[in-house]
Amino acid sequence: MIAYLQNIAVLFCINAILALTLNFIMGYAGIFSLAHAIFFGVGAYATAYIAMHASDSLLLCMAASAAISAVLSMALALPALRVRGEYFVAASLGLQVIGVTIFSEWKSITGGLGGMIGIPRPKLWGYTFNDDTAFLALAIVVLGIVVGITALLVRGSFGRSLMAIRDSESAAQTYGKHVNAIKTLSVAVAAGLAGVAGSLYAFYISFINVESFMLETSILLMAMVIIGGTGTLFGPVVGAALLMSLPAALTYLPFLPPTELGSIQQIIYGLAMVLLMMFRPGGLVGGRSKEKSA
Amino acid sequence: MLFAQLFINGLQTGALYALIAAGFSLIFGMTRIFHAAHGATFTIAGYIFYECYSVLHINWPVAALAATIAASVFGVLLDRYVYSIIQRHEGSFFTVFVASFGMAIIVQNLIAMIFDRGAVTVSTPLSKSLEVLPGLYVAPIAAVVIVCAIVFFMALQWLLTKTSMGIALRALGENPTLIEVYGLTPRLLSQYVFLIGSILVVPAAILTAATSGLNPAMGNHVMLISIAATIVGGVGSLRGAAMAGLILGMAENLCLAVIDPQWSEAVTFVILFLFILFRPGGVYGRAVVS
Repeated sequence: MIAYLQNIAVLFCINAILALTLNFIMGYAGIFSLAHAIFFGVGAYATAYIAMHASDSLLLCMAASAAISAVLSMALALPALRVRGEYFVAASLGLQVIGVTIFSEWKSITGGLGGMIGIPRPKLWGYTFNDDTAFLALAIVVLGIVVGITALLVRGSFGRSLMAIRDSESAAQTYGKHVNAIKTLSVAVAAGLAGVAGSLYAFYISFINVESFMLETSILLMAMVIIGGTGTLFGPVVGAALLMSLPAALTYLPFLPPTELGSIQQIIYGLAMVLLMMFRPGGLVGGRSKEKSA
Repeated sequence: MLFAQLFINGLQTGALYALIAAGFSLIFGMTRIFHAAHGATFTIAGYIFYECYSVLHINWPVAALAATIAASVFGVLLDRYVYSIIQRHEGSFFTVFVASFGMAIIVQNLIAMIFDRGAVTVSTPLSKSLEVLPGLYVAPIAAVVIVCAIVFFMALQWLLTKTSMGIALRALGENPTLIEVYGLTPRLLSQYVFLIGSILVVPAAILTAATSGLNPAMGNHVMLISIAATIVGGVGSLRGAAMAGLILGMAENLCLAVIDPQWSEAVTFVILFLFILFRPGGVYGRAVVS
């Protein structure tokens, strides 16, 4: 039972990091990306590759994952600078599909559909995180750091610039903000931190394949952000906690046939998305009349 | 001969994509609703046809009618009881998109629960391939697909240009506030758009069921293709959507001559990505003002 709860807690930390970083671009910069799972995946594959072929040092793998994700995020920043709204959503969808194809077909690096098996647990200053409790502590620390970074960025002048761009790009430009640089940087930060989450995930599960980084994951993350409340600091964390506890709670309902649990869970996600958008578009944490521009 | 075979396959896929994209493009162009649940409409139509034709053995025109009714009821109700409520208090396109996506997830999983997750195929006397030339296989249904696409496009063109309702619908796409001045109700017109858009997806759904088969998750692919074709063709241009559907279907098949089939879906999206980067207005579209 303890092990089960620990497992959920670690996965919650990872998903909370992803939701936080997605919210950073969605809620504050107005960049509605449906390709977040790709950067999660890039981080996971980078860590897996380095840990299996070079070194299992925690800091090295995480830094490399973050850097590679941040660099590759330029593929997302490029359309973000050119188009907005529907067009950007379409571009990010395109990126998501292309990314999944690359994950499943670039066999020499990603292991193809079979994925990568046997990723070792990370080492930090000679200590190996073999124990799950220790790993949970690590995940909580990383989550704390990510919360800290996003809170600092959002509260500071960078965050205000971002929100100004979200609300009116031309007005922000008139005030001398470097719109393109700020947007690119925000995408890179979000993707880099998503890469860190990917790194944690690969170390924890020790097996990764493309299944974890499909469009469904991107949508689940988006649902976490939206259900929690876009543009709020703790909304995404609340959303992640809700959506993570849902499957666990469903297994305790005796009258549901176990084979249909997955479908029922998905239907509840979908229903929650529809009803929230209809009656509370600001999310659970956000205010009801929150004005969002797209 | 490989090239000719791929060309014919491409033509067939392209015609199907054109039909799929037309409905989405119509809805998006006229009402600005990013109807991600278009794929769900497609899946519903396909499965209803399968249930009636292959399981209950009803003859095909009745089965097709049942599929049409199911699809249009779904589309119109969705517009009336979900989209219109969201649009009443918030205009953000993303809010509508998320709700629509939620709907697509619900439909996909309901269908998976009712009909099982596996793929189903409707076999018709027309699905069997014939050897037309040595090494060139064509199923008679390919001709049905192409004729269907042409007929539906001509009907749509006539509806939009020659009837007063079509003119009202195009006005809705241009300026929803102004048409109220002329005594028309945008909400009512929007329901007509959903009706027509949902009906347009039915032939594609039935023909897909008869050619490559159905599975509950295919709505996602349909949605991606319609979004891609609408943007590549230019938002608001039906001609563009049809053309783009054809281009994407062709590209997906012709690329098989040089690369492995696993990459063919990526080709579609590389095309989409390049269009968004370099020509976001699409083939026929107006310039994009954000």
